[in-house]
Amino acid sequence: MFAKMNNVFSLLGDQFSGSEWFPQQASTFAKENDDLFFAITWLCVLFFVPIAGCLFYFALKYKKPKGAKAESNTAHNTPLELAWSILPSFFLVAMFVYGAQSYLNRRTVPDGANEVGLRAQMWNWQLDYGNGVINPELHILVDEPTKLAMRSTDVIHSVFIPAFRAKKDVVPGRYNYMWFEADVASEKVSDETLASAVKENGSDEWDYDKWQFTPDGYKFFDLYCTEYCGKNHSIMQSVVVVHETEDDLNAWIKKVSKRPDDGSVSPAEWGKKLYNQRGCKGCHSLDGSKRVGPSFKESYGNMRQLTNGDSVKADAEYIRNSILEPKKQIVAGYQPVMPSYKGQLSEDDIASITAFLETVSDYGRKVGAEDEGGSTTEEPTEKE
Amino acid sequence: MSAGSLPSDSQVRDPGYPTPSENYLTNSKGILSWVFTLDHKRIGVMYLVGVTLAFAIAGLLALLIRLHLFQPDGFVFKGEEANNWYNQVFTLHGAIMVFLFIIPSVPAALGNFLVPVMLGAKDVAFPRLNLCSFYLWVFGALFFVSALCASGLDTGWTFYTPYSTTTNSSVILATSGAFILGFSSIFTGLNFIVTINTMRPPGMTWFRMPLFLWATYATSIIQVLATPVLGITLLLLIAERTMKIGIFDPEYNGDPVTFQHFFWFYSHPAVYIMILPAFGIISDLISVHSHKRIFGYRFIAYSSIAIALLGFLVWGHHMFTAGMSSLTTIIFSALTFTVSVPSAIKVFNWLATMYKGSISLTTPMCYALSFIFLFTIGGLTGLHLGTLATDMHLHDTYFVVAHFHYVMVGGTLVAFLGGVFHWWPKMFGKMYSEFGGRLSAALVFAGFNLTFLPQFVLGSRGMPRRYATYDPEFAFLHQMSTFGSMLLGFGLLVALIVLVKSLRSGKRAPANPWGGATLEWQCTSPPPFYNFERAPSVGDPYDFSDLEWDAEDERYVKVEPKREIVPEEKPEATPVHADDSN
Repeated sequence: MFAKMNNVFSLLGDQFSGSEWFPQQASTFAKENDDLFFAITWLCVLFFVPIAGCLFYFALKYKKPKGAKAESNTAHNTPLELAWSILPSFFLVAMFVYGAQSYLNRRTVPDGANEVGLRAQMWNWQLDYGNGVINPELHILVDEPTKLAMRSTDVIHSVFIPAFRAKKDVVPGRYNYMWFEADVASEKVSDETLASAVKENGSDEWDYDKWQFTPDGYKFFDLYCTEYCGKNHSIMQSVVVVHETEDDLNAWIKKVSKRPDDGSVSPAEWGKKLYNQRGCKGCHSLDGSKRVGPSFKESYGNMRQLTNGDSVKADAEYIRNSILEPKKQIVAGYQPVMPSYKGQLSEDDIASITAFLETVSDYGRKVGAEDEGGSTTEEPTEKE
Repeated sequence: MSAGSLPSDSQVRDPGYPTPSENYLTNSKGILSWVFTLDHKRIGVMYLVGVTLAFAIAGLLALLIRLHLFQPDGFVFKGEEANNWYNQVFTLHGAIMVFLFIIPSVPAALGNFLVPVMLGAKDVAFPRLNLCSFYLWVFGALFFVSALCASGLDTGWTFYTPYSTTTNSSVILATSGAFILGFSSIFTGLNFIVTINTMRPPGMTWFRMPLFLWATYATSIIQVLATPVLGITLLLLIAERTMKIGIFDPEYNGDPVTFQHFFWFYSHPAVYIMILPAFGIISDLISVHSHKRIFGYRFIAYSSIAIALLGFLVWGHHMFTAGMSSLTTIIFSALTFTVSVPSAIKVFNWLATMYKGSISLTTPMCYALSFIFLFTIGGLTGLHLGTLATDMHLHDTYFVVAHFHYVMVGGTLVAFLGGVFHWWPKMFGKMYSEFGGRLSAALVFAGFNLTFLPQFVLGSRGMPRRYATYDPEFAFLHQMSTFGSMLLGFGLLVALIVLVKSLRSGKRAPANPWGGATLEWQCTSPPPFYNFERAPSVGDPYDFSDLEWDAEDERYVKVEPKREIVPEEKPEATPVHADDSN
């Protein structure tokens, strides 16, 4: 019976293909989801139109001047009432069964699914492709199931990819998983378009909304956070790129895995990229404004007052420690909330970040000049 | 008999008008006579003023939200702290609307006024407890406002852990406020349960109670049984924040999903605290303004109880994506579908009540029609969310936002307004402008649909909720929604003006302006402070046959055949057998 219903649903769904109700269908779940959605919607219309029709028809038809008596005073009609109590239940059972079957299918990961690790933190996504390759973009293969093994380092987040019709909360303290199979590959824009966009965008953070393709030239599907997670919940977004071939995917992974060996990207540039992509930006500003963590402006080479009363110079060693063991030396006035990046950043990455911090601090250039550095650094301690 | 003329050979029964020394509004004077009053009617009026204020504040915050979302990057709040401001505004909008307005609106404001009068009683069972629950409401409200003034609150009204255990905003103040408000709610519920159980007048059996009382009774059961769980949850949350007891926070071996179970075990039944009294109002409104016996009284009454009980079993549908086991998820989906049946029964019964009635399209009736239309949309879109497969896409999107606003605003708020317009003449003894009232109903209906219909499409297109900024492709629908919210706000303002104006210049209201057969229409408008001089005779609450329209005085009156002494012929002076002289 329910197999037949499947056909009915899909027949109904076809009436709406190309409608404005949904984003593009890009996974194996999408069509099934949309068909079911429209089947339920049609059922609702089937009930709603008579209800609303009767409502307005009765209101006009039986409108009478004050004092007129009702034409009938029937108190009840048990067979009729039983009928309208019980008959709709069959529709409910159908919706439940079909919805539950489809749900079970979505919760059963096929054997041999490609696994990508996902770590959510306020307010960015870190996709782990193995071998220490971590990037905020989700890159997967077309026509192959992908499983996301998800964890959160702070509060609850939720992965939502509208084009895939897939969603799952990421809960701290446990691993949640989800899977999907993309069936539409992302197009690539022409090299000229990409080159001009890269040039225009400059070294700023890439503007996905403006360009509508990734810095590597792929069109993308949106990935949103849908569980409220604090201040920047609404910008906790990323993109999904579906590669046509495994070679293409591997080439991309290789490209983002580390700073190119040929020296085409300077450590400071690479550090800035990491700052934008790896979650530093959410908590550490570059303009001196106070966020969750201290600003990076004038930070490098400056003195830092710690919660335990010590003061320490923010040199390369301090920065390295703060990245790997962030809860050890907490700057006064801040909470120990930063997660450790141990094992997630290579030594070259850390050096690059240090190089980048040097460029946003005036003290950076004066690091060598002992006396001048000493005189400025005494100030905070004296305020104590 | 033509409409509007009273049969000449009958007696009219009408209580007339109260004298100022009887009128509960004027029988004692001075601010202290209100502050320390034990009169359930005055407490009801104070609640009405209180919830209206809370609604005004939260409504303005809602307009601020809509205005901010007029542009993808945010229209109102700018700069570094823009998102923080937005988060605080939507949190306060939700929290104030839920805890300070929707939950107490119908049960506490209208219920306090109506329950004893509908029972023909002089007051509720525990008048002092009643006053206490009002003051608890006031203190809870103050806690909330102080949370706003202290350091804001940005957790959403749901206080999800671990965000709520780590954020710097004043979670403890706000949850203490909600804790106190919970007691206010429990006291009100307890009072009504005892009142309805023990103070029904002779002859009013359970199945001769007005349906508003059935709905209030079902609501009170939920208030008494579910609210303590909220109290426990909020205490645990405070303990987690201050003492790190390790129940909700994964950093101390807690599980954040446990909090969601605790929270929704209260908050889903709370949805029925919000909507059940609205059902009760609509049942009475439809019947009275159709001047026809309610259709399927028992089904409506039983379905209220069924909703109250089933409502305790479906909380898991707020957590379909949270990571419960597949089996649990599927069971909750099945249970969720069952709760839709009793709601559907009510809609069908209301339509059947209108069928072949004698409908007066008064302001309360316009609101009631609007309610059925909007609530049906709200209920039906719940099917998309109860179905597991589609919920995977729609969960936590604007589809959910639209769905619950159709139920809470299109349902509860519209029913509340309908109820206020319906009982306003009884509460304050003044008639309002019918034109103004109907205009407000039309504006609210149009504005509401323009605000929330586009949000269904936003949701199915993938717009997540609680976003301070959004992708440009959603801008057009958001702008439609913002324009709609302004129209809705304007409509509500018109309703307020119409009502306030009636207090100054409204016509004096008769005892029974609509032709209701329940007991509250048998005392004067407004009722005397003692409600009824002696216990009224209890009839059928939905028998309109002996109510006639008196066009001269613009009122409905109860008519009875002229009472005469029988037998009519006088006994003869001499017995018949007196002539028998043999």
